[in-house]
Amino acid sequence: MHAHKENHAFEPKIVAFVCTWCTYAGADLAGTARLQYPANTRVVKFPCTGRIDPVFILRAFQKGADGVLVSGCHPGDCHYMAGNFHARRRFAAFRALLDFIGVDLNRLQFSWVSAAEGGKWVEVATELTERVRAMGPMREFRELETEEQWSGAIDTPELQAAYEAIP
Amino acid sequence: MTNTAQTIDPALYAAVTDAIRAEAKKVLEAGAAAAVVGWQAGRRQGTAMPAIITDPAKVAELIFSPACVNNLALYLSKAKKEIRARGRIAIVVKGCDLKALVGLMGENQLKREDLHVIGVVCAGVQRAGAAKDIPLSEETIAGKCRECTVHTPEGADVTVGTLPDLPHFTPVESEELSRLEAMTPAQRWSFWKEHFARCIRCYACRQVCPFCYCEQCLCDRNRPQAVETTPRPAGNMAWHIVRAMHLAGRCAGCAECERVCPMDIPLNLLNRKMAKELKELYGHEAGFEVKEKGPLAQYREDDDQSFIK
Ligand code: SF4
Ligand code: SF4
Repeated sequence: MHAHKENHAFEPKIVAFVCTWCTYAGADLAGTARLQYPANTRVVKFPCTGRIDPVFILRAFQKGADGVLVSGCHPGDCHYMAGNFHARRRFAAFRALLDFIGVDLNRLQFSWVSAAEGGKWVEVATELTERVRAMGPMREFRELETEEQWSGAIDTPELQAAYEAIP
Repeated sequence: MTNTAQTIDPALYAAVTDAIRAEAKKVLEAGAAAAVVGWQAGRRQGTAMPAIITDPAKVAELIFSPACVNNLALYLSKAKKEIRARGRIAIVVKGCDLKALVGLMGENQLKREDLHVIGVVCAGVQRAGAAKDIPLSEETIAGKCRECTVHTPEGADVTVGTLPDLPHFTPVESEELSRLEAMTPAQRWSFWKEHFARCIRCYACRQVCPFCYCEQCLCDRNRPQAVETTPRPAGNMAWHIVRAMHLAGRCAGCAECERVCPMDIPLNLLNRKMAKELKELYGHEAGFEVKEKGPLAQYREDDDQSFIK
């Protein structure tokens, strides 16, 4: 599988927020089984998907992530019984909000990966990485970071004249 | 039934004013409430402001007019503890305000038995910046009132007033919502980016919201800091996403945030969108019935998960 290694012009940064009980163990399994997948994913471990505040996703994008993956236990398998059920509703609402704000939802992936699904982890991580790679860098949030807002925009001829008159 | 005059008959407001005064006098004299939270005339002609009346001799100060925009449910939230500390409170509410009060009860912030609710039939209130002291018309009525479905509150201890025939108004808010929904994500991004960039982070929208009663707002925390506090585009975007998310499934739609915003940012558009989504997803709608749990505080095992791989 790793016969030939491509050199890409763009290596996306993918942040994966995972729960420790299922997906983290699944990713670990992928590692011990020596399955190959793009090295673009940065894994951040949480006790439960219920602990993953939507603001973390926002923060990831603001700090330069090109894609975000959120993954946890399958419904019914939550170590804390219902954390992932609550998370499911919260993320459904958050997706709708991001979409309305104008964020391309192709950069955000949710998945259920159990501790036994090393293969699924590889599949999900690879798919998101390649999809985001094709989309190019996430510019929107990063551009905002560098922008300033001048409350007094010079948007009338009078203001422009006054501005130019400043010695 | 359509009203051909295209304005709202001011007689309703006068009748409601009298009824509020009578009811306030009754409850204060009987000791059924320690204070009445209502509206009184503002210092300038044709304006109104919130009032807290404790003396039955002063009930004549209470009014109801198209300038009574404030959602008084705010004064019963945890953010205003000193009012509730007075004991049983009587509060005057319009339909939309009552939905907020009901939401606070659902969140265990208030007990129904601690309140005496005076519901007022409302035909509409003024939009921010509209000319005062003329009958409400297409030009002066608030956006939310154009498509109001709660003119007559339900479940109050007393409800006063009779709804007159109302003119037909264009539903500007839902039209704007459909316009945005039809845009591409990139167009929506530039729409919001431009609006949010103007935000000065005065937090008036937060202070006026009955549901923003957190003792410490996430957006004020700096260890660690989740949201940049400087009024720059990046922090503003984060603030607005967090605000909309924290109110999703809780907002009662009173649109006070949008009214108080000095920068005219269309905040209720975001609130409306989230309300619509939560209705489609989980059948939740803010109403007059106290619900034990909001849509994001509960779950069903068979909730939609088509977006999860
Ligand atoms: S939304 Fe309805 S109840 Fe609320 S102020 Fe407007 S008309 Fe009155
Ligand atoms: S009221 Fe308006 S300007 Fe002030 S923080 Fe809210 S959105 Fe920003």
